Amino acid sequence: MKREYRLRYIIRDGIQDMFYIWKEEWKNVFRDEGVMIFFFLVPLVYPVLYSFIYNNEVVHEAKMVVVDDSQTAYSREFIRRVDASADVKVVHVYPDMTAAKEAMDSKEAYGILWIPSDFSKDLHQGRQTTVSLYSDMSALLFYKAFLLTATEVSLDMGAEIAASRAPASTDQAELIQIHPIPSEAITMFNTQNGFASFLVPAILVLVLQQTLLLGIGMLGGTARESNRFNSLVPISKHFNGTLRIVMGKSLTYLVLYVLVCLWVLVIVPRLFSLPQVGQPADVVLFMLPYLLAAIFFAMTMSGFMQTREAPMMVFVFTSLILLFISGISWPKEAIPEFWRWLGYIFPSTAGIQGFVRINTTGATLNEVAPEYRILWVQAGGYFITACLVYRYQIIRCRKLIVQRYWALKKMRHNIKI
Amino acid sequence: MTCREAIGHINTVVRREMHRMVSTPLYFFCILVAPLISMTFFLSLMREGLPKDLPIAVVDLDNTETSRNLVRQLDAFEQTSVYIRTGSFSEAREAMQRGEVYGIFYIPEDFTVEATSGKQPKLSYYTNSTYLIAASLLFRDMKTISVLANASVGLQTGTAKGLTNDQIMGQLQPIVIDTHVIGNPWLNYSVYLNNTLLPGILQLLIFSVTVFSIGTEIKQGTSREWIQKGGNSLTVGLIGKLLPYTLLFTLVAWTLMATLYGYNAFPLNSGWGPMLAASFLLVIASQATGVFMIGVLPTLRLGLSFACLFGMIAFSIVGFSFPVLAMDPTLQALSTLFPLRHYFLIYVDQALNGRDLIYSWGEYIWLLGFLFLPFLIGRQLKKALLYFKYIP
Repeated sequence: MKREYRLRYIIRDGIQDMFYIWKEEWKNVFRDEGVMIFFFLVPLVYPVLYSFIYNNEVVHEAKMVVVDDSQTAYSREFIRRVDASADVKVVHVYPDMTAAKEAMDSKEAYGILWIPSDFSKDLHQGRQTTVSLYSDMSALLFYKAFLLTATEVSLDMGAEIAASRAPASTDQAELIQIHPIPSEAITMFNTQNGFASFLVPAILVLVLQQTLLLGIGMLGGTARESNRFNSLVPISKHFNGTLRIVMGKSLTYLVLYVLVCLWVLVIVPRLFSLPQVGQPADVVLFMLPYLLAAIFFAMTMSGFMQTREAPMMVFVFTSLILLFISGISWPKEAIPEFWRWLGYIFPSTAGIQGFVRINTTGATLNEVAPEYRILWVQAGGYFITACLVYRYQIIRCRKLIVQRYWALKKMRHNIKI
Repeated sequence: MTCREAIGHINTVVRREMHRMVSTPLYFFCILVAPLISMTFFLSLMREGLPKDLPIAVVDLDNTETSRNLVRQLDAFEQTSVYIRTGSFSEAREAMQRGEVYGIFYIPEDFTVEATSGKQPKLSYYTNSTYLIAASLLFRDMKTISVLANASVGLQTGTAKGLTNDQIMGQLQPIVIDTHVIGNPWLNYSVYLNNTLLPGILQLLIFSVTVFSIGTEIKQGTSREWIQKGGNSLTVGLIGKLLPYTLLFTLVAWTLMATLYGYNAFPLNSGWGPMLAASFLLVIASQATGVFMIGVLPTLRLGLSFACLFGMIAFSIVGFSFPVLAMDPTLQALSTLFPLRHYFLIYVDQALNGRDLIYSWGEYIWLLGFLFLPFLIGRQLKKALLYFKYIP
């Protein structure tokens, strides 16, 4: 048996080649500024930028105008309390609706509170009275601020008025009359209902997959552009097996992205004090299949990229779709069946769901078991497809070499004659 | 160059560009397929307007006819669906961590007995704000049911005392807030998000296509020939090159308008004119911005990266999800550099609120202002086109 056919030597060569390819790919990454942008600059800057944009978490002092038709002590007290709240600021009190509408048209305010003329009379006579709130719907968070504040003030003031109107024998009895069943709302995990705490963790996880897609796609496109046969695989004795190529390359990306993850998932959340209650071990164990799945997915997709720019044209706009399909902003129960199934193709869907639950709600691997399983299945599946892509490329490349060889030989033959 | 000559040159460049366009499938994908996928995705995703039947867990420690009745009423709400009933809170919390429920409704022990005997049992409801939309919808439903429970007990005791309904309500809740949401009365999320998301995707694609169409000329070394065909004038060359894309993207943008305001009947209080104009201006303003991008970074991959990153940031900084006014002042200033921001402001004034044009003309001017961007970078771009050597 010839030496090179013995399994022992095949494995030894394979591992040596794998590290050779690893080193080569490492050089490729650092030689290419386009790839560097997506592997380093974007993961470095984007999370910071997004956190900065949403950093204020909630809306404070949303601007509102009031039309006070009542002009009484009660109505003024109501306005004062609305203004005193953290979320709403009363910028002006107008005597009539036209002026208030104009203020809203010229964006001096985003909501109108209208207090009717018999506001005070109704309250004195023990009748229910209605305050109207008009809100501009250009920003849902303004509307939310107006509604919550107005409701809060109306309940508080209402309770006080009702108590003073019907003095019961004791304070306790008073309370029982007004609030036979009190209730409390508790916000869990993202306690201040913050926008950054809600959206940024999902974006962080998505950025990992998308930059891998773009970077690896770009490397694939470059390899093809610079290859004589327009193939992904260079003509070299080291690139002589599917496994060593796929494993060598993916090792490069994995090592790089462990560092990137450290920045994106550990340091950035800390810098902007985003929620981070997950067990580190769970996060690490969960991110491993996510990274592997994303890497092999990207390597598979890179097989279809003919030029180095194609990935940017094809993948960037999908980020938005993937963010919505992940079920963080639009609840997954409300996603139509077809899209939900389509979402399982992408590692980001399970990755975002699982990471957010571990990171923000303190779930353990037990609670994210379905997502964890999906990611491992994807990692395995995309490993196989990545191998197929490279296998196909190697065979195609060899065929082309052989064809070329015969063509040259024929040419030489012809010349001789 | 006379006007007639210029038109002749533009004609030549347009023909040349059409040939290039049809021979590159990537254009077909970015101009037609990608917008179509996005439109289908987002409009079908949110076709219900509001997510329905969001799962909650009920922890009912009382478990009487009254408490079960309360839960049944809660379940009957459109947005809420009781997914599990359990006797243990930690079980409910785990379901929340598993992502199976977004809220927990907690009914304490002896709720019924205490409520009727005036001991004030307390209802608690928990929402998982990691999922902001689901949490705020469930908050609304669970709050309503709690207030209703309060009122119904109040009504019972009040009627027993011989008070009229009006008197009781005046006592239970003296002041009520009546909300009127202008333009989008059903709080439809599809209206709220898609009116800006989809034009935003269009803007992103226009950036990329514009940068790509100019950048490939440098990459393939055909830029000299292009400029020559344009009579050695960059302006003529650019107009000829971009015109086919202007037409196609305007067509796509107007198809989007027709889908949003015609087929889906989203609020259009201004009539068609202002929105068709705004979407056309968005197209050309984005093209101009694209020219500026490749002018600043005249290497295809860098210019394209710039286009992609800028285009993606637009979705956050435009302020349709998180208002610009709540952002840092630097970001507020920065937001004006995005054509989409001005388009969004026009949309709010015109389609959503139907305000007078006087309130939005400034934004139309802003969009037109983007057309000056290519002039700022013209000299550098021309140099790059004529002398720049592509380094792979």
